[in-house]
This record gives sequence, structure tokens and C-alpha cells, in this order.
Amino acid sequence: MSRLRYTIGRLLQAIPVLIGVVTITFLLTDAIPGDPVSIMLGPSPSAQQAAAIRAKFGLDQPLYVRYFNYLFDVIRLDLGESLYYSVPVTQKIMERLPITMLLMVSSFTFALVTAIPLGIISAKRRNKPADHISRVVALLGVSTPSFWIGLMLIIIFAFNLNVLPATSLVMPWADPSTVDGASNQIDVIITAIQHLILPTITLGTLQMAAFTRIERSSMLEVLGEEYVKLARAYGVSEGKILRKHAFRNAQLPLITIVGLQLTTALGGAVLTETVFNINGMGRLVITAIQNQDFLLVMGTTLMFGVVFVVGVIITDLSYAYVDPRVSFDGGD
Amino acid sequence: MLQGLGVAGIASVAGCSSGGNGGDGSGNQSGDGSGNQSGDGSDGGQSSQGGQLKMGLVKSPLEFDPIVLNDVPSEQVASQIFEGLYEYNESTGLVPALAASEAEVNDEGTVYTLQIEENATFQNGDPVTSEDVKYSFEAPVNEETENASEVNMIDTIDTPDEKTVVFNLSYPYGAFTTTLAWPIVPKSVREEDPDAFSTSMPVGSGPFQFDEWQEGQYVRISRYDDYWGEPMPNLSGVEFVPVEEATTRVTTLRQGENDIIEEIPPQLYSTVEQIQDASIQEVPGIGYFYLAFNCANGPTTDPLVREAVDYCFDMDQAVSNYVEPTGVRQYSPLPAALADEWGFDVGQWEQIPHGKDINQAQSLFEEAGVSQDYSWRIIVPPDDKREQIGVTVSNGLQEAGFNNVEVQRLDWGAFLEQYVSGNEDDYNMYTLGWSGTPDPDAFTYYMFGATEDTLGVTDGTFYHNSSERAATATEKFVQAREMADQEQRKQLYTEGITTVLEDRAHLPAYNLKNSFGVKEYVNDFAEHPVDSFHLTSNHNNVSVNK
Repeated sequence: MSRLRYTIGRLLQAIPVLIGVVTITFLLTDAIPGDPVSIMLGPSPSAQQAAAIRAKFGLDQPLYVRYFNYLFDVIRLDLGESLYYSVPVTQKIMERLPITMLLMVSSFTFALVTAIPLGIISAKRRNKPADHISRVVALLGVSTPSFWIGLMLIIIFAFNLNVLPATSLVMPWADPSTVDGASNQIDVIITAIQHLILPTITLGTLQMAAFTRIERSSMLEVLGEEYVKLARAYGVSEGKILRKHAFRNAQLPLITIVGLQLTTALGGAVLTETVFNINGMGRLVITAIQNQDFLLVMGTTLMFGVVFVVGVIITDLSYAYVDPRVSFDGGD
Repeated sequence: MLQGLGVAGIASVAGCSSGGNGGDGSGNQSGDGSGNQSGDGSDGGQSSQGGQLKMGLVKSPLEFDPIVLNDVPSEQVASQIFEGLYEYNESTGLVPALAASEAEVNDEGTVYTLQIEENATFQNGDPVTSEDVKYSFEAPVNEETENASEVNMIDTIDTPDEKTVVFNLSYPYGAFTTTLAWPIVPKSVREEDPDAFSTSMPVGSGPFQFDEWQEGQYVRISRYDDYWGEPMPNLSGVEFVPVEEATTRVTTLRQGENDIIEEIPPQLYSTVEQIQDASIQEVPGIGYFYLAFNCANGPTTDPLVREAVDYCFDMDQAVSNYVEPTGVRQYSPLPAALADEWGFDVGQWEQIPHGKDINQAQSLFEEAGVSQDYSWRIIVPPDDKREQIGVTVSNGLQEAGFNNVEVQRLDWGAFLEQYVSGNEDDYNMYTLGWSGTPDPDAFTYYMFGATEDTLGVTDGTFYHNSSERAATATEKFVQAREMADQEQRKQLYTEGITTVLEDRAHLPAYNLKNSFGVKEYVNDFAEHPVDSFHLTSNHNNVSVNK
């Protein structure tokens, strides 16, 4: 029950955060130099035409009126109509969000599956060759820009070796008739995985590197605790100490970082989607900004805000599953 | 149209070419190219005679109704579905398409009479009538669409019978034949549901019919088996897929995911050349990229200063460094294909620009009294090539002793607002590009504004107001526009352009090529200076033999 109350409390706290996101995005979008109508109509629109478009999008009204109108619309879940695509912003987001979520889930999975063993091996074999290798990998991963990794992967695996596709994603649940060369759902899933591999590595490498470093230091800390020493003194095997005594306790810092890495992953998705020609939220944001499609910019930013807030709440809740000592009653 | 703004929208200035048989995607650099990965499950498609073509464009189309569309990728697709009364031959010449023969023109050049092909039909089986033609030409003005200025020289249209159309022009518009390439739509279908016509069921009279569109993913068209004209397409279908990132686009060509890709950037030319079963096909487009001066305010109002800037750098070198092999040096506002077609003496214009001579530049700056402390400001749109031209000028100015030189790369929104302000704080110089119909009008009237429609609207130089000589030169462009006789027009353009270049309102820079990477098994693909490419036309018919 307390967990439910905590969850509701956190969701309520998200409301002012999202209002803040809306407000800041609104003001920033308004402050961008240039005129969306001139981008729409080109350099010599007729005056009536420009005025009609301004009226349609409420651009002829003062800032505060537009702000409150927008805020009320958002409360009603109406994000307005995209200037560039001429369809509702929510429709565009609903089209693109699943694609980006698939990419993010797969890249986080990749990052966790690789980072946890790497971090543990690194901690276990501290200052030995395995540790050095793992630390160099993590350092390279943290410092290499994701678009560069993406382009290198394309050049090696798609262009030179020609073993993996370089463009777009296929949804695993897509209808086989809409996918090239697929006759049944299994084919679709295989195709989807092939398409996912390179973008996943591109977006997941930074995450993987960050997680590895945290996992290593957290594991080292736990392995130095008194109770681990005690277990060793009792003659418990090293393998069992790692699995039974140290592992779970070492995961709390990692969980915190997973939540925070959502922001970098969303940013990385913009670059990854551009390089791999994936029609997700990232490219939607770029298109919106390039065309000063202000309603679409605000809608997508708000959606990123929602994804982040939800992600952080899920992270918080997952503490309790990993560490039963965490209680939501006291708020710790 | 302004080059580079690939989005819906920028073509509105009449400068942009109206779609010949569809559209002229006059090779804009903006990058829209189509790339397709084909897709429909029939990938092998061998059973059909000419196979399936997959083509990688740079950007996704946004709509297909030729009356309202205003961006290159949309035009590239729509031009396969719709036809005009005229269409382009393999170069910039126009030949009748839906028109049964050449137009009859009265002596003043104000009345054009045309017969429509007797057996021409739309893809719903209805005949193409004079009412459809009248509607297609009037709709842009009636609906105030973004490209209305392409047809607004038409005063009235008469339809004496079902197959005869008479265009009465407000003035003898010299470039009207290019206007006749405007695409024709079936009035009844479009009026019934304009939204569906634009996005889900466009109906034209062309060789391909629309099948399906997923925004940002693909557009599929297929051969229309009852096409009235000739030739019947070899291809059974075409899929266009947008692939924005150039490396990725080239990779799809290498992998065979696309059979043709468009727009190969300079740094990837050699990569495409190394692909064993592919080659590059290219042709200079109908475009013009240039450096322009603010002649309204600041030191660049003085022709001496503009000449000094010319001495600060070598445009030949800059174009060779940053634009070739994707583009070619251009010495006047007129693209080479157009200058050839009209027989302009381009050689005399080639002599006008100076090479780099910093001493000469310094003495001219001194003579004009420009202080070494002056803060120069050069604005460029978001495009690497144009930015590099700006940076080259900036380096030259610094060599000439100026320490405060700023090159500012602006987003389109900010750029469009600033480059026509005439304010010295906004810019002393700017770089820009323009594409248009293959007529000198498209490259003079909008660039050197002598009317309120263009001065400070599409022309940020305000050169017209800078001297008596400038006013006389720019007014020639207006005169030539409203005149039918080609020899007289040519004379006026020659005089006007020579003065403008001698006064250095612009320093012409380059023109881009429409470039394509094409697999060997694709036959008869034709790149085109105006329409970007032709699949099935009066001079080619693409087939795929995988």
C-alpha cells in the first residue's frame, strides 16, 4: 500500500516538473529568431496568406494569451497541429514514439547485459589485464561520440562486409506482408533484430561504458565491506560471495545511473536515428526545430519530459525490489 | 526558389520552376533526394518486363497535389504521376505533352492557343479537357497557394471547346512556355476531396499511378497500364525511400538496397566510384549560387569596396576547393545549360572577376576610406558549401588587415528575416542560392529587385537603389520579362547582367550538379537539369535487369 501511495505521490510531483518543461520550452521556442510563417511560405508570401496562417496558429495574439491557451490545451491532451506535417502533433508522436522506445529498450538491454559482467570481472580482477581492458573499453565508450560509432559501424558492417542493414528499423510486431522478404512473423522478428543490431550498439555503447564504471567501483566498495570479509573468513567460496553476498548490494548505484542515463540516451537517439535513417522521435525533433514548427517542438520536448519523469519513477520503485531495506514510508 | 530550403515552402517565389512534367526538382541542394529501398514484397519482380526500381531520395515528400506542393521531393514523385501541356526534352527544351502541337501565339505575345491531345485521359478514365486545364492554372491563384506566383501572369483562360484552351496574359510574359509545363489535374476528382487528392489518391494523366505513402518511410507508385501516351513504362513499379544521411545513402546503394541514390556529397564521390557495379550520372542543374553585397548601407554601398572584396580572394580556387566535383564554377547568374540554349556570350562575363591580389585590395579599401577597425559581418544559410565561401571571403578580409570579420551561419528562419533587411548591422554580405525555370527571367528579376515585389523581398542587395546606372540595368530585367521577342530579350539581359557584374552587386560562385549513383543493372536512367531525373519520358524509359 505504501508503495502505491509513494507512486501516486511521485506522479503528482511530476506535474509541476512538466509545467516547468512546458513553460521553459514555450519561452525558448518563442525566443528563437526567425519566423515560422516565412519558412512555411518562402520569402515572398502574400500578406493575406501570412495573416491567415498567423491567425490559424494564434500567432497574432500576445505571448501570455498564447501561453495560457497552450497550457489549457496540453491539460486536455491536445498538443495542437504541426505546421510542417499538417497533422495533430499527438498523432505524429504516437507514430514515432514506439520506434524510439524500441531502440532505447534494446540499447539499455545491450548496455546492462554487457556492463554488469564487465564491471564485475573488472572489480574481481582489479589491476590485472582483464581490469585494464575493461577500463579502456569503458573509457573509449564514454569518450567516443555516438554518431561516429554509428558511421564506423555502417562503413564496416554494412558497406565493407555487407552483413547488416544500415537503414531504418522494422518493428518486430509488423505485419509480414509489409516487410521485405518476410513470409511469417518469425522472419519479421529476425529482420527486426538484424536492423536493430547496429543502432543498438551505437546508442548503447555510451550507456555500457558508464554502467561498467559504476558497476566496477560499486562492486569494489561492496567487496571491501566487513560482512564480505567475514564471509571470506568463514571460508565461503569467492564465487558464492560474489553471487550471494555482494551482487545485489552493488546494484543500487547502477540503478540510479540507469535512470539518469535516460537523458543522454534520448539525446543520443537524435543522432543515432539520423545516422541510421530511423523515423523516430529524434528525427521528429530535428525536423521540428529546422522548420520552426513550434507546436511540434513543444510537443516532442514535453513527451521527452514525460518519458524521463516516468523513467525516474520506475527507477526509484525498483530500488525496493533490489534492496528490501528501502522503505517508501519514510521517504528514504 | 531559394536553394537549400528543402522544406515545403520555399519555392513560392516564382523563381522556382514549375513542374514540367511534374516537377522540376531543379537540383536543389537542399538535399532531397530520393532513395528508395524497395520494398514491396515482390522484390524480385522479375516477372514484369522492366522490374521494380528502388530509389533513395534525401528527404521524404510531404504531399502529392501539384497545385499546392512546394518542395523538391514531393515534386520528384508527383512528376511521375502528373503531366503538363508541355514537358522537357533531355535538356532544357520544351516539347508538347498533353498539348497536341505547339501553341499558337499572337503577335504581341499575349494570347496562347493550344489544342489538347484527343485521346489523353486521366488515370480514372476521364478525358483531359480544357476545363481541367483552366482549373489547374487558376487554382493556385484562387487558393492563394505558395506557388501562385508561377501562374499569376495569366489574366483569363477561355475554353471555346472541350479540347481548346486560350490563355490571355496580363502582359507578354517572355518565359510563358516554361509556365505551360505546369501539371494538369482532374478538376472533378480534386474538388471532391482535396485532402485525399494530396495524400492518399492523387490522380494524374502520367505513366505512373500512386499506390501508397508512409511519411518518412516510402512512397510507392506503379505503371498505369492504360496510360494514354507513349512510351508505356518498362518499370512495373517504383519505390522512393528517404535516406537523409549521405554515408547511409551510399551504403544502401552498395548493398543493393537501393538501385539509384541521389545527391552524392563531394567527400563520397570516390567511394561511389569505387563501387564495382555502380556509377555516377550527373548533370549541372538550373541553379545559381552567389555572394551578394549589401548596397543599401555600410561600406559595401561603394563599388570600390565591392571590387576590393573581389580582390581579397579567388572564387575559382574556393569553388575548386569546396564545391567540385559536386558542382561547377559559374560566372554569371545564368546556369550553363540556359546560357547555351540562348547563345549568351558567357566568355565576356568570365573576364570580369579578379583573382586574389591583397595589395590591390588594400589600396582600394584605402581609397574608399574604410577603417581597419570596421566590423564586417557575412551571413550564410545552414549549408557547408555556402559557409565555406563566406569563410574564404572572411580570411581574405583578414589578410587585408581587418581584424573584426564575423561569418555567421544562421538557421533558415533567421536568415530569411535578416538577408533582406538592408541593415548594415545584419549583414555586409550574404551567400545564397537560387533555382528556377530555364529562362533568364528566373535568375534576374528576383535577384536584382527593381519592383516592390522583389526589392527587399527576394533581393537583399538593394542594388537597384544604389545608383542611376544600377536602376537602369535592373529595369532592363523587368522590361525583358514583359516582352515576347527572344532576340530583344537576350540583348536586354546581356546589357543588364554585364552592368550588374561589373558593379559587383553579386560575385557569382557556382552551380550544383544533379548527381545520382546508379547500379549497372539499371538501364536508360536519365538525370535532368530541370526535373532532376526522368524515368519514363519522351527520350528515355528506365528498366531494371537484376
